[in-house]
Amino acid sequence: MEQRLANSWRMTVNEKKFIQTALLSDLRTDGRGPFDYRNLTIQFGSEDGSSEVLLGQTRVMGFVTSQLVQPYRDRPNEGSLSIFCEFSPMADPSFEVGRPGEFAVELGRIVDRGLRESRAVDTESLCVVAGKWVWSVRVDLHILDNGGNLVDAANIAALAALLTFRRPECTLGGDDGQEVIMHPPEVREPLPLIVHHLPVAVTFAFIGDESTVVIDPSHFEEAVMGGKLTATLNTNGDVCAIQKAGGVGVMQSVVMQCLRIASVKAADITGKIKKAVESYNTRRALKKIKRHPDSVDVSNISKDMEKSKLKIECTSTSQNDDMEIERQSSKKDESSLRDSKPKAVIGGPSSWDPYSKGVDADELKASLASRGVATPNEKMDVAPSPDVVPPENRQSNVKDESLTDADPSPLPRAGEETNKAKTLLDAVKPKHKRKKKKNLSNSDGS
Amino acid sequence: MESKPSIHSSSLTVDQQVFPGDVVLDLSKMTNQTIKLGGGLRQDGDFISVMKAGVLRFSKPNKYWVESSHKRYVPSAGDNILGIVVDARSDNFIVDIKGPTLAFLPVLAFEGGTRRNIPKFEMGTLLYVRVVKADTGMNPELSCMDGSGKAADYGPLKDGFMFETSTGLSRTLLSSPTCPVLETLGKKLAFEIAVGLNGRVWLNAATPSIIVLVANTIKQTESMSPTQQKIRVESLLQKML
Repeated sequence: MEQRLANSWRMTVNEKKFIQTALLSDLRTDGRGPFDYRNLTIQFGSEDGSSEVLLGQTRVMGFVTSQLVQPYRDRPNEGSLSIFCEFSPMADPSFEVGRPGEFAVELGRIVDRGLRESRAVDTESLCVVAGKWVWSVRVDLHILDNGGNLVDAANIAALAALLTFRRPECTLGGDDGQEVIMHPPEVREPLPLIVHHLPVAVTFAFIGDESTVVIDPSHFEEAVMGGKLTATLNTNGDVCAIQKAGGVGVMQSVVMQCLRIASVKAADITGKIKKAVESYNTRRALKKIKRHPDSVDVSNISKDMEKSKLKIECTSTSQNDDMEIERQSSKKDESSLRDSKPKAVIGGPSSWDPYSKGVDADELKASLASRGVATPNEKMDVAPSPDVVPPENRQSNVKDESLTDADPSPLPRAGEETNKAKTLLDAVKPKHKRKKKKNLSNSDGS
Repeated sequence: MESKPSIHSSSLTVDQQVFPGDVVLDLSKMTNQTIKLGGGLRQDGDFISVMKAGVLRFSKPNKYWVESSHKRYVPSAGDNILGIVVDARSDNFIVDIKGPTLAFLPVLAFEGGTRRNIPKFEMGTLLYVRVVKADTGMNPELSCMDGSGKAADYGPLKDGFMFETSTGLSRTLLSSPTCPVLETLGKKLAFEIAVGLNGRVWLNAATPSIIVLVANTIKQTESMSPTQQKIRVESLLQKML
């Protein structure tokens, strides 16, 4: 009981009275007029789709992520947009950890209503395969500091994060043309979301007996207010959502007046968001230009490196495929020349595990090396595999060592690449790749 | 540990900024002396070193401590603070003093207080009180009387406006000579002010506009140098008048 008393924030009688009396002469405790908005700052994180909004003391972080999911049955060709909000106890001692409170739910619903039901984000463009795969976009809103008017700040954070979010491009491929290939950001530029318009929430509080209207209530004013009204509008003046909370009654004329003021403020805020997003985009573009000469330098270091790069590109999709090819080629060799280790090569790709059978690959190589008939083709195939080979086994053959030493630089990179790309990328056609590899190795050999 | 940075004589560092790791006292040079250490200082063998950034203070005869600015208040006996009444029990009022725990204000700790005339406070009443006891492991005890049992200026504060600041700012507001902000404001405007060492400031004036102006000026000029403060306050006053 005492702990709870200690944790809750209290307001004195003096403050409550003062806020009301000062408002009678159109004064607010922070020196603003009744219809002045607080200072708005929008910042972006290092990753796409993250934003941080400061509205006076209030601080809200927005973060957007996406995932490929099955669509809802009733809307097979539409992606989804969902909004989650988290109230950290750090922001306000009255926020509790765990179950979201009443206000957290209300905030999430208002932002959700403004963004989703006004169809601000084009969900149909998030469809990949109708009825099978669509993008599900998730907006996480974290309240970091509560200085009042969380709804407006959270809404702006969500908009800014959505505007800077990029989803990876994906195309259809595979044997039946139904497999989804996701392109990593280095290969194809990720795509921004299509946002039709920006619904901006503007909150008004009604304070005192005469229900004086103030815009953008602060923490203190929220503790005194009798009710509040949140209107979500876009620059065209369309009302996307409206929410009136609290018990106090509001005249129709007052609501209309609020909406008129809100539309002006919404245009103002939209301008600020657009400006911030624009500067973020230019910064992003500049970063890319800077990165470019770097990659050129790396590729110019040696022919080996260039070769390895090409190889990575074709092996980047998965180690799995690569190993498979290797096995196939060596299998052929072995069956035709000598069946020294027939067991090691039996087993289809389905039962194949890149980690547990790493030793087998080594044994294969050893057998090949002992024969001394390793063609350039095999060399190329074998080269990327030693990252699966335990180091103690590598000592087994000198030839093997020389193979791995031929181009040591690509090995760790190849390992990284393959470890990263695992899920959908496994679907890339192996046939095509093998051809590429052959060409490559042939040109090298000649 | 062996090679300590140059040790200043204690008279130099008192009332100066100190930083964690600074050595302020060398005990080997001050035999036959007992000293008392307060917050922010610790003993490393023969040396007294600093553990937090702030200003080193010394009070006669032998107390040393480091003062810094916080949002939270650590109660210490003898401080004049502003508290908010949270709850009333039969023996005590429970008062929020921005500290780690709530404080107790005995119902009899008022001038001429008896069981018969217990004052009635609404929840959220602002009180100007004095810390009487601040022992570890206990809730601090407050009083609305000075040492001689008189009400002095203690008691509930009516009307006006209360805002919260850091403990550092409240200490500068209370410092003598009067801090430049209050001095410059006081020359042009008439207002009442009560500053609690726990970082709460209460203001009252004839019109709300004066209160808002003074409150915001005090909050905005916290991180400025005295000359900057003076310039800022004068420009603000000129704009208003």
